[in-house]
Parts: sequence; C-alpha cells; structure tokens
Amino acid sequence: MNMQQVNISENNFEQCIKCTVCTVYCPVVPVNPDYPGPKQAGPDGERLRLKRGEFFDESLKYCLNCKRCEVACPSGVKIGDIIQLARIKYSKKKPKVRDMMLANTDFVGSMATKFAPLVNASLSLKPVKLVMDGVMKIDAHRTFPKYSSQTFESWYKKNVKELQALYKNQISFFHGCYVNYNYPQLGKDFVKVMNAIGYGVNLLDSEKCCGVALVSNGLINQARRQAEFNIKNIRKSVLSDGRPVVGVSSTCVFTMRDEYPHLLGVENADVRDSINLATRFIYRLIEGGVKLQFRNGIKLKIAYHTPCHMEKLGWAFYSTSLLRMIPGVELQVLDSQCCGIAGTYGFKKENYPVSQGIGASLFQQIEESGADFVVTDCETCKWQIEMSTSKKVKHPISVLADSIDVEATKKLNGVIL
Amino acid sequence: MKFDVVIIGGGLAGLTCGIRLQGMGVKCAVVSAGQSALHFSSGSFDLLNKLPDGSDVVNPLKSAEKLDAVHPYGKIGGSLEFYAAEAKKQLIESGVVVSGDASANTYRITPMGTLKPTWLTMEDFLSLPDRDSLPGRKILIVNVAGFLDFNTKFIADSFEKRGAECRMIAVSIPETERLRVNPTEMRAPNIARTFENKDTLNALLSKIGTESDGFDCVVLPAVFGLSDSVSVKMLSDRLDCKVCLVPTMPPSVPGIRSQMSLRRAFERLGGVFMLGDTVVKADFGDNKVVRIYTENHGDYGIEAGSYVLATGSYFSKGLVARPDSVAEPVFGCDVDCSANRADWYDVSFFKPQDYMRFGVVTDGGFHAVKDGKAVCNLYTIGSVLGGFNALQQGCGAGVSMITALYVADNIIKG
Amino acid sequence: MGGNGKSNEFDVIIVGGGATGAGTARDCSLRGLRVLLVERFDFAAGATGRNHGLLHSGARYAVTDRESASECIKENMILRKIARHCVEENDGLFITLPEDDLGYQATFVESCQAAGIDARIIDPEEAKRMEPSVNPSIIGAVKVPDGSVDPFRLTLANVLDAKAHGAKVLVYHEVTALIKEGGKVVGVTVVDHKTKAAHNYYAPLTINAGGIWGHGIAAMAGVRVDMYPAKGSLLIFGHRVNNIVLNRCRKPANADILVPGDTICLIGTTSSHVGFDEVDDMRVTPDEVDLLLSEGEKLAPSLATTRILRAYAGVRPLVASDDDPTGRNISRGIVLLDHEKRDGVPGFATITGGKLMTYRLMAEWATDLACSKLGVDRPCTTMTDPLPGSRDEDEMPKGKSFIVKNPIRKSLEGRHGDFSSKIPSDNEYDASLVCECEDVTVGEVKYALNELDVNNMVDLRRRTRVGMGTCQGELCACRAAGLLGEAHNCSEKAKSDLAKFLNERWKGVYPVAWGDALRENEYAQWVYAGVCGMEQND
Repeated sequence: MNMQQVNISENNFEQCIKCTVCTVYCPVVPVNPDYPGPKQAGPDGERLRLKRGEFFDESLKYCLNCKRCEVACPSGVKIGDIIQLARIKYSKKKPKVRDMMLANTDFVGSMATKFAPLVNASLSLKPVKLVMDGVMKIDAHRTFPKYSSQTFESWYKKNVKELQALYKNQISFFHGCYVNYNYPQLGKDFVKVMNAIGYGVNLLDSEKCCGVALVSNGLINQARRQAEFNIKNIRKSVLSDGRPVVGVSSTCVFTMRDEYPHLLGVENADVRDSINLATRFIYRLIEGGVKLQFRNGIKLKIAYHTPCHMEKLGWAFYSTSLLRMIPGVELQVLDSQCCGIAGTYGFKKENYPVSQGIGASLFQQIEESGADFVVTDCETCKWQIEMSTSKKVKHPISVLADSIDVEATKKLNGVIL
Repeated sequence: MKFDVVIIGGGLAGLTCGIRLQGMGVKCAVVSAGQSALHFSSGSFDLLNKLPDGSDVVNPLKSAEKLDAVHPYGKIGGSLEFYAAEAKKQLIESGVVVSGDASANTYRITPMGTLKPTWLTMEDFLSLPDRDSLPGRKILIVNVAGFLDFNTKFIADSFEKRGAECRMIAVSIPETERLRVNPTEMRAPNIARTFENKDTLNALLSKIGTESDGFDCVVLPAVFGLSDSVSVKMLSDRLDCKVCLVPTMPPSVPGIRSQMSLRRAFERLGGVFMLGDTVVKADFGDNKVVRIYTENHGDYGIEAGSYVLATGSYFSKGLVARPDSVAEPVFGCDVDCSANRADWYDVSFFKPQDYMRFGVVTDGGFHAVKDGKAVCNLYTIGSVLGGFNALQQGCGAGVSMITALYVADNIIKG
Repeated sequence: MGGNGKSNEFDVIIVGGGATGAGTARDCSLRGLRVLLVERFDFAAGATGRNHGLLHSGARYAVTDRESASECIKENMILRKIARHCVEENDGLFITLPEDDLGYQATFVESCQAAGIDARIIDPEEAKRMEPSVNPSIIGAVKVPDGSVDPFRLTLANVLDAKAHGAKVLVYHEVTALIKEGGKVVGVTVVDHKTKAAHNYYAPLTINAGGIWGHGIAAMAGVRVDMYPAKGSLLIFGHRVNNIVLNRCRKPANADILVPGDTICLIGTTSSHVGFDEVDDMRVTPDEVDLLLSEGEKLAPSLATTRILRAYAGVRPLVASDDDPTGRNISRGIVLLDHEKRDGVPGFATITGGKLMTYRLMAEWATDLACSKLGVDRPCTTMTDPLPGSRDEDEMPKGKSFIVKNPIRKSLEGRHGDFSSKIPSDNEYDASLVCECEDVTVGEVKYALNELDVNNMVDLRRRTRVGMGTCQGELCACRAAGLLGEAHNCSEKAKSDLAKFLNERWKGVYPVAWGDALRENEYAQWVYAGVCGMEQND
C-alpha cells in the first residue's frame, strides 16, 4: 500500500502525542499563569482553531517564541511556529505605537544614531523613563541600549572597505541593527578576526532588519517585505558573487534561516546552508586547516550563556569550542535557559515582572559563577544580563578579537595582501 | 565535526553509553531528537519482571539464564551480572542514587496503589520486599489541592485492601494555588518547581506536620526534587514518620531529574550533547558508516570512528511503523517484524503486544544489520533493539543500560 | 393521559435509547403520555452513535430514493432550528472526479430539485476556493445544504426533554421478556445490569425502537421483523481536513463521504452483510481500512498523510419488505409496524429502518400511532419546539466563571448549548481541564456525572468527548476515572472502568495503529501498564 507511508501532513501539530514534555521546558509557564502553556497554545489549540478561528485566545501573545518547547519535543512538533502562526493568522489585536517603535529597530536606530548623545542622555533620564513607562508602557526599569554616533556601515566605508578586495577569500557580513546602530565595535572585531584568517569582509548590497521584532509585534506584512528584501540580497551574494553570508547575532541568523520559510513563507532553501553564524563559520574553517595564533598571558574566567535561538539552532557547540581553544580561558557553560528578554518582549511594561522572573535563576547562576564576564551570541541577552547582573557581557567574536595575535595569525595562514 | 564516537539518542541507553565512553577518554557526541522517554519514568529501573512465557521473575539474574540469543540479555550471557552491577554503580556516580539488587526484585508502589516488581529504585522512593507489603499501618495520603494526576483514593483503597488504615487530605498553599489559575499547568514538574523554594516547602510541611500526628507513614505524589534530592531530604527530616513518594502521571519529576543528572555527568566528562537535533542522512562506505548529517548542522557532517544507535522505540521515533512494515529511519537497518499488520496487536490493551517485540536486528556483538549484513562500526543499544517486549517482561531500563555498557566496552576494546 | 397510576405503570414503554427511542420518548411525553424509556446500555450506544454524523440534505438519495431524499431535506431544515447546538451548518459539495461520469451531474441536480433540495452547480474553481482540501482534479461540483450533526448530543437532548416532561428513563436495563396477557403485550420484564434484579413494567403499548436489536425484541413478542444487519465501517481523522462535507457525485458507493464533525473529520462507509452473532462486537478489518483510505484520498488527497485516530463500525437496521421474505428488496425508508394489525399482537409496535436524519419523523409516526391507540388527541410539536440546549442564545455566565480562555468556553458552549450555564465553573478546580484535547473541565465532568445519567467512563465520553481527542484517553482517562471514583464513592469500580475504557479506545485504535497512532498508543500502554502497573482484570 502506498498511502500513509509517511503520515506527516503539513499540519505538523498532529505528530504531538500529548507526552507533555514541552510544558516542562517552557520558561513562561512557571512565572505567568495566564499563559496557556506550549501544549495548549500550540498543538492542542491548533486542532480547535482548525475547527473555527474563534477558538483563538489572545493570551498566546505571552509566548516568548524562544522555541525551547521545540528543542524539547521528542515528536518534532514545531510548537513555537504553530503559536506564532496562530497569532499571525487569528489575532485581532492591532500593534500599538509602542510596539511599532520597538519593532522598527532599524528606522528608530537610524534616527537615534543621528542624535545619539541626545537620545542616550534622554533615554537614561528618569523623567523620560517615567513618561515612557506611563505613556508608552515601556518599563521604567529598562536600560535602553546606547546608540552609537557613527554607524558600523559608515565606519566600514570610511576605514576598511577598500582593503577587503585584497583578501583571497570573500564573505558578506550581515551586521544587523545592533552592530550598526548600537555596537559597531563588534563589527570591527569581526572584520579584524576574518581579515586575520584571510577573509575579506563585504557588506550585502543592502540589508534591512531581519524582522524578528516585527514578527513578534505582529507587523507581518512589513516583516515579509524585509525578509524578501534580505533574501534577494543574500541570494545575490551567495549565488552570483560566490560569497557566503555571515552574521554575528544568533537571532538574526536563526530568523533568516528558519523563521523566513516557516513563519513568513519566504523560501530560502537555495541559500539556507550559506547563512552562517560567525562562530560556526570560523570553527568549520579551523577544522579545515585554518589556524589561530593567540596572544600569550591570557588568563580569563568566562561563563557562556546559550541564547534561546542558539539552543534552537543547536550551535552553542561552535561558540564554546572556539572559546575553549583560547589558552588561559576557563570556560563555564551556564545551564541553557531563557534570560527573559526575548527581544522586545521584556521591554513592554506588562511583561517586565515575567521577564525578570524568567531570568532569575540564570542571573543567580551568573552571579555565583565568579566569571570575569559573560559571553553570548545574542545582543538582547546581553542587555538583559547586563541590566540584571553585575557582569559585563561580550560576544565570542570580540573575545577572539581580543585574544588573537593578528599578524602571527596571518602568517600562520599564509595571508599575504 | 569529528568525534571518536557519535551516539544517536540521548535517553537512558545513549547517555549510559556516552558516560562510560567519555569516562574512558573517548570523545563522544550525543545527538538527541528532543527529550527522552525517561520523562515518564516511575523512579525505578526494571531488570526483568517476567519471562516471555508470562511467568513471574523473583531473581532476575537467575531467570535471565533462560533467555535465548534473540533476547539482548541472551547475547550478553554470562556478563549480565557484571554489567548489572556496573550499571548500578554508574547511575550512582552520575548522581542518580539508587538501591536494589539484581538477584532479588523488590516492589515499587504504583499510582494505583498496587505493587510492581523492580530492580533499582531512586533514593526518594520506597521499594518493598514483597508483593503484599505495606509502607506503614497508619498511612496519611496527601495530595496538593487541585492536582489531578495523582489519585489518593486509588492508593488508599489498595492499601486498605491489604490491611492498612488510611486517611486522605488535600493541602493547599498560596504558591500552588497560584499555579491553579491556569487550567492545565498544574503538572508535576510545575508543582515541583515551586517546592524547590525552601520557604514554600516549609509552608507545605507545616500544614502536613500537624495532620500527620499518629501516622507511621506519609504518602505524597512525586512532586519534589526536580533538580536534586534536597527537598525530599527536607521532607524526611521534618516529618516524624516514614515518607513515601508515589509516581504521578507524566511528566515524571524523578524522570526529569535522572535525565538532567545523566546529561550533566556526561557533559562534565567533556561529552557534547546536541539536544533537539535529528539525524537526516548517513554516508556509508566499505560496510561502514562514514558520516552523518543532521538537521541543525546541515551540510556540515559529523564524522566518528564508531556510531551507536540508541534512538529508542516508536515513542522516540527510533522505530517508525508504516501500514505494512516497521522501519529504522536513521540508517535503514533491518527490522525484525511481521509483515501482516493484523499480527502486530492483541485486541486487549493490557495483553502483550507483538509490535513491542519488533526492533533492529543485530549480530551477537550488537552490530546493526543492514540489508542482511552487519555494519562493522554501527552498534545498536536500548529500546530500538528487537527480540524482547520491554513492557511485558519489565526489562526496558535493564536492557538500555546493560547493552549500553556492553557496547561501550566493546568499542573501547576495539 | 395523566392519572396517578402505580409507579410501574405507564402509557407507553419504549425499548431502545438510540435517537429514535429517545425522540419517541420525547414526543410521547410532550403529548402528555406517561413514558418509560428502557435502554440496555447507554444512550446512542448502537447505530445512532456509529455513523457519519452527517446532516444529510437528502442529495445522496435524490436519484435512487426520492421519498427518503425529501424526508431528509425537511428534517434537515427542522434540525437546524430545533437542535442548533447539535448541528453545524457546513454545507456540502458533490464532486465529480475525472474517473466519474460528468453526465450524472445533470440527473443528480434535477432529482435534487424535484425533492426540494437546493442543489446548485458551481464552478470547480469556486469549489476549490470554498474547500481547499478537495481533490484539485475535480471536473464538476454541486453545492447542497449538507451539514453535520452530533448524534450523542442530539439523543441526549431528546432524553433530557423527555425527562423534563415526566418520562422515566432506565439505562443499563435490558428487556428480557415481554409480558403477555391473552396474546396482548402488556408490559416488559427488565433486568438491571448493575443489581441483576428483574422488574416488571406495564403499559398498554410497548414500542420497539431497538434498531438492529429490535429483531430480537420482536421475536420476544412472537413476531418476525426481517432485518438485515449491514455493517458500515468508518475512519476518524485526527483533525478537520475539510470544513465542508465532501461527497462523490455518482451513485452511492463505498467511502464516498467525508464529514467534518466537531474537532475531527470522518470518512465512510463500507457496506457488508454480517450475522446477528457479530452485531454486538463489530470490528474493522484491515481490508476495510485500506479501502476507506484509498477511496477517501480521492475526495481529499491530504487524507493520505493525515493521522487516523480510530476506526469503528456500526450496523444499519435495514428492513426487508414484508412482501419479500428473501430480504433482497431492502428499503432505507422508515418502517412503522403496528403488530396488532400486521401480526394480531396488540400492545406492540416496531419503529425501525430510517436513518439518524429522520429520527424525529420516525418518532412522530410512532407517537401518532401511540396516541391513536391510546385515544389521545394532541398534535406533534417537535418540528418547532427547540431541544434543551438550543433554546437560548445565552452563553455561559461570564461574571463568576473561572473559565476565561476562549477555547475552553467555546468547547463547553459547543457541547451543551445553553445548558452550558449549568456547568459549575466558579472555582479553579471546576475550571481546570480533565481532557486537554477536547477541553473538558472538571465542572463539565461533574455536571455529566450528576445530571446526565453517566454510569461509566464510556458514557462520560459520549456526554463530554472526554478521551475522544488525539490522545484517546492517554492523558485524561486517569483523571476522569478519579472523578468517577469520587462521584460514585468507589475507586475499585473506577479502576476497572478505566481498564474497560482503555480497552474500548484500543479497539478503535488498533485497526489503524501505525505512525503516530501507534506511538501514542505505545506511550499510553507504557503509562498505564508500565508506570501504573494496571493489568487486565476480566
């Protein structure tokens, strides 16, 4: 008999066999009793929603989209996707002005960069925070990420763009909003490391925010447009120019690889394997023979935090393996758990206590770790951990950049310009 | 990526094997498609409760001698006693503290209040010497108010039938009441999470304390000790009588704790645990597995000297049943199964089901057989193996751990 | 009729708690008769609960049996009004596939219109837009007013109204003999399955509404009703693939209807003759499963990859015409037999044949006969009187209820209509879920146990859908058994009920146990036989 050889329909929820394992690993359930939990919100709810859309419940908005339910599921049910898709399809709530502001990271970022000192000063002023709290419902406890006065792109064009063509190998760097507006130093560190191993760093013809914040704030059409735009540019880089794309944010990379096809219906199968995270890309090069020469006398105690989307990608192994290669580094891998920020979720006043409640045990582990600083691949985790603990947070690429001897590394790899 | 051994499956079998190998300095990765079947563990590990003919087993080691070479124990033969002891030792060293004896089954208390034979029992749980035992004479059975996955009356009735005197109470404290706002999430691990907080646990204990006067045993649902045994020890210290935890409906708190302990032990030894990843394809060459590819790592394959298939049974998708056959989906190994679907089942839910006996065919050294030929660097362990009905014979945990250790030692020997 | 008769005396005794028996009990009580309804197991436990749940427009019979077709469309319109909470107005499509004769479509539409059925040919492209799951290769489509009907809810609503009008209802009471006086049936002897005690009840008229089992009841009266048990097997899929009923536009054949009903959809049926020795334990064979799948896939190709929840079979009570003792001339129409006239046995009548769709009309006919025999002159009102649950637009009270989530509220309202206001929900316990697939609350289970004649877990399932979802009882059965044990204050019975319930679920699962259905079951067996240590106890 031919039929039913594979009884996996497009409605992937029906692979759920009600084992309830997902409910154990949801970070929201223990702190927010209004959230129905991944099983009810996901596969159970979907079955009812297929009957009639009125079975949708707005409380699905409490889902962080951390995908830890999917990582835990022994049945391969895309629980997180099911919940997000249901929100996209059925939610009647319109995004608020605040949500639009939080979601439009690149628009707000480009405006803020122009007036960075002013914006930074005012975002940290108590009265401003209270207005944001009261009017915008952005929680007053939040520290806004600082905006840089020069974007990464303008630094890049002014200082290093010309040199990149001299390298034997070429990649395209998807810098993302955070590197561009808030933390160009990470972009500079990335260029430093890649150049040291003989790779020229290009920018895509153009890039927009990956759209993760648009998705979680319900601005789907805009998210889809940006996804199509990005994939078009990625396609050009990969297929026409032969340059794989590398990003430093685990969330941007995850969104472009998986959320584009799953949530936004933007196909990327032809380029998906070429959308890389920096640490994975470098680890793979090292296994292929590329070498790093580290500086002498490094003595660091660091703790690695696995961001949710890194857990979902299954790639924490690459970042931690790279860190372990640095002589003199003592690495503790923290228990993989959500820090609570989930992008823009934790910025909303109504989510603040939940957000901090979710992160509480992580923060405690960090404080008890005795680490000099925390390392993670996600910028929003960085904000949350820096706000909620006494530790600074760095990106693994910045740790590498600080640890390598650039000239010696170039020599080891025969990089001649 | 390169490892000495890649183990596919991160449940009891896979982790037992990984810990053994990693402990001997063999570099291992475990690829686990989601969490394992340990999540519905009873808190005990069975070695052998019944022979295939249905007769009861009192001394598992002795009875196992009667099993033929189709059965995994039959393949292990004379080394069974050694590996049973090693399994117990390794569990304890990995933080899953158990007691029990491979030559004499003891009896654990089921959620129905009945007794069922078992081999090793976790420290939080009670196992009794024979089928008619009771944990006490005057027993207080406590539930957390609103928790539907634990039925005090089922247990009380069973105990009273055997001559005990029982009283049932439901206790509520603000922290568990808060959970009840959600109509579904009053689940064992969520309750256990609230009791990880000492103040919450103390609040519960003061409520039970006053009620337990004059009782020689307090029975509670297994909603304590999610991350360690501290809260269970607190129960025992603070209550003036014997404390007896009884497993709940899934998810299982002791199961989750065992899973976490084993994973931590493996990672502490330097093992790489890849959770939420699925093997999608394998390259073969020269009767060997050369490389595997997974969903998460895409075109970046994983290479190893040996591969261990520990993917579990149907539940964990180690076996996939189609209308006319049962397949092993990762490597396409040969599966011993009846071609006629009608033969797979007994019409009674509680009778032995033949489909549970199906599994991967191996040679005497647990090398998986593919297209009739043993693959020389691919080993098979645990529930994905064929030749035994783990549920009927009560030997699932035993087969998982013992085949895992046996194979690990064979890999080390080369 | 009134009067203060003895407690074991009635105007009419109705044997059989299917839709017909329940409907007759309701109609008789509405017309003032003192009614006893006797059912040997539970309401809707026979053919009533084992069919498509299709609210036929009658289109299926239009070409072959115009009388049935026009009965259907009339009853269809009545049920939409009187049984709103049991009915979903989904509409239906009769599709023509390339392998079918498109010429049949014209005959079909013509016959429908002649029977009063609003059948309209539509563009296949429009049909695909209306129902995206339909086979994309269709070459023709006709839209008809089909729908779905929940037979359990419908039967229960009739019972509830009968009781509200004074009827006495006995479930788990089996008629073991008819009491006769001088050739006249004057009552019944029933045995209570729980106590094993026998009781006599008397009435001037006994109506046999036993469906296929009515064959045996008639035999007790010494009369012969030639029934032909026709087995029909169906498959239930795990979720709704379609939202519009899909039929094949051709002469009725095997597996040509796909009906969406509540959270699931089902394909059926097969048709085969079976012996009377089999009717109490119908099992679906692998061949039937394969046939249903291969034909079903033609209606909606995604069925080929959709998880099947279970398989079940019912027995149609087909009746042979009296003038044809060979039984070949079988009608699906309503058969009302006045045994006084037909066989010279006064005090006994049989209502049979027909179908779920026409249960109300059958009840009307039977009640008309009863009234004429008893000299009562009251008109039938069941074509306009809404059933309990379908009377008010009012939903569950929102103020004090702890049920705040849409899916749960909508599920309760969907199952009980305006009677959902009777479901306790004013504390967290009553609002918590027993069954997470179908959103059955503790309060709903309590309501069913207290007010809806529930004796065991299987009855509870028929009232609430507990265990009817994807997990088939794995997660909820133990919780429900706990509540049952509490209500009946007997956990031994609750435990053995739990075992029986799991066996009953398995009976429907094993014919389709592969893929995720087998995974689910392996898990359930590990939980109940492994962790819980349950064993077969009969």
